[in-house]
Amino acid sequence: MPSSAVLWFDDDKIGVCGMRAVKSDRVKRQLLREAITDNVETMRGLPPQRVWTAPRKSRGWLWPASLVLIPLALLGSSHFLSAGRAPATAAPTPALVRPAFKAAALEPAPLPDPRIDSIEPVKAAAFPLAVRRVVLDAGHGGTDPGASAGPLTEKDITLDIVERLRSLLQRGGFDVVITRTDDRLIPLRERARMANSSGGDIFVSVHVNSIRDHRISHGVETYYLGPTKDPLLTRLAAEENGTSGYSIADLRQLLDRVYADVRRDESHRLADDLQQQLFTGLRGNDPGLENWGVKRAPFIVLVATDMPAVLAEVGCLSNDREAAMLRRPDYRQQIAEALFHGIGAYARKGT
Amino acid sequence: MASSDVLHVGIDLGTSRSSISASNGERFVVDSFVGWPADMVARKILKRSVLIGHEAVTNRTMLDLHRPLERGLLKEGSEKDVEAVRELLRHLLGLVGVKKNGKVEAENVRAVVGVPAAALRTNKQYLRNSMKGVVDSLMIVSEPFAVAYGLNALLHTMIIDIGAGTTDFCVMRGRYPSEEDQRTLTVAGDSIDTHLFNLIRERYPQANITLFMVREWKEKYSFVGEAPQRAIVTAPVKGVPTELDITKEIRTACETILPPVVETMLDLLSRVEPEFQERVRNNIILSGGGGLIRNLPRALEDALRQVGGGKVTYMEDPVFVGSDGGLALALDAPDSDWERLSA
Repeated sequence: MPSSAVLWFDDDKIGVCGMRAVKSDRVKRQLLREAITDNVETMRGLPPQRVWTAPRKSRGWLWPASLVLIPLALLGSSHFLSAGRAPATAAPTPALVRPAFKAAALEPAPLPDPRIDSIEPVKAAAFPLAVRRVVLDAGHGGTDPGASAGPLTEKDITLDIVERLRSLLQRGGFDVVITRTDDRLIPLRERARMANSSGGDIFVSVHVNSIRDHRISHGVETYYLGPTKDPLLTRLAAEENGTSGYSIADLRQLLDRVYADVRRDESHRLADDLQQQLFTGLRGNDPGLENWGVKRAPFIVLVATDMPAVLAEVGCLSNDREAAMLRRPDYRQQIAEALFHGIGAYARKGT
Repeated sequence: MASSDVLHVGIDLGTSRSSISASNGERFVVDSFVGWPADMVARKILKRSVLIGHEAVTNRTMLDLHRPLERGLLKEGSEKDVEAVRELLRHLLGLVGVKKNGKVEAENVRAVVGVPAAALRTNKQYLRNSMKGVVDSLMIVSEPFAVAYGLNALLHTMIIDIGAGTTDFCVMRGRYPSEEDQRTLTVAGDSIDTHLFNLIRERYPQANITLFMVREWKEKYSFVGEAPQRAIVTAPVKGVPTELDITKEIRTACETILPPVVETMLDLLSRVEPEFQERVRNNIILSGGGGLIRNLPRALEDALRQVGGGKVTYMEDPVFVGSDGGLALALDAPDSDWERLSA
């Protein structure tokens, strides 16, 4: 019976339905386009990600800081006690002192507080380090070429720079251990294991950047281990960590252990020295080079190594000019020398 | 990197539940809770560094529990909430077969993520930034829009999406909904929970209840108007499990959302061009968990009677209606546009 009804208004119905379908499709396409435009505009409106403001007491500190606090509270470290007592001198009555201390001791995640900085457990100077053995790590290798520009690949550049750096260091009286000496893929986990078992004093991993969206600008940057807020860095870390062999859960456990570690401060110092030498050493030839600074990011090789460890991004393959320079052996030698001076500066301060 | 497949997914990132629909046919829903072990002991017991969804809720005593889009917003400056959103996304992607470490089996994952309308209005860029790097390409839309798109209800319809943190209204008039087409109320599932909690406490001061218990009871018995059944629940009173009748309380709590929802619905209707008002009135779609409140569509229709009557349709399957809509958007968007949306 419904079919007969349709027959009655056959032409009319089909016409209307047809029109409606066409209209609905058009509306749909239009809406989809508007949704996409809206998203693209949002992307455009983003502030430039690469411009890095120094990692001031960011919120990321809370988490490591609380981890620092808990063991300290348990051990009753004198540092902590003195920090806890600090208000006591200002407080007029002992009655006021106690709650202040109690609150500090029980608070699992204290608010950002200038005191956190002063609680930083051990100053670097407390560990006069003699750097004797340096572990060098040439990023990528084998089936994992890393970044590339035409036939020029990150794995080849890093290996070459590391070889050059090795001979410089050896001439300078350092022991050098290298995680890979040829074009082979060595899992990040294995690299870290090699570094740890070789008893190295510091670990330097050499990489080359390639930043799709930044063809014009190019710069150098050095990383040490730490939590990062920057989603771009997270992606970079994900890319560099691709062949780690660790699960996310493993990684997080490692991170939790390490963020609270004294080692971070040493790594930071090493990163500072390397970055400074890299930038000043290379800018002479390349006035356009930008100083992207010292950053924190959770790269695997930094997480799993037991010694002060940094990762240097010594150039930028996505920049044509720089790619051309990286092709030149003398420029790679310059990079190796800059890294050598950085390691030297750190080693001198430590002793 | 193994295969060159493109995987399209639609994700509904809700305040209470999040769902995912993927082009490989998989669909999942999880509670929007992310928890990290609160201390070393908890970590030892749970043997996991992050728990998500129902698991997080059941183990909440040991966790630092986050609901990242509480009250419909992603709180700016809260790193934990951002990380929670990312974990949630990764978890959902993992459920449909995308590998966990950010790299994926399919070479290209394209996701349309629906978020509460209020979140999108206030901190669109922040949201986009927070989700960066989890998928290859990303499009963020408002939840009601995704729902409307999925239902093909793009012209002369009104979506009322009653979630946990917010109730979102959206009038679809054949264009991408602008500010004036949308409204957000903070009366929603959570505010019902709070009311219900207080009412039960008032009536049974001795009973030991938590918001989580109240939430479960509400999900089981919620109604407005005439009671379809008596709501009898069990809670410890001085340690003894005791049966409590909370029928009246459930009704009172659920009905607290009626006045503001009705008022907003009528106000939005009055702003529709006069010649289309009747069509919109007859095309009101109720989605979200709030749609599960018994008799609610009828109560809204009663309210519409004063302006000439209308029809409120309740989505039978409110759980996936948002993510299915997102998936439809993802599949319809041309390749060239996806390339512009790389994240």
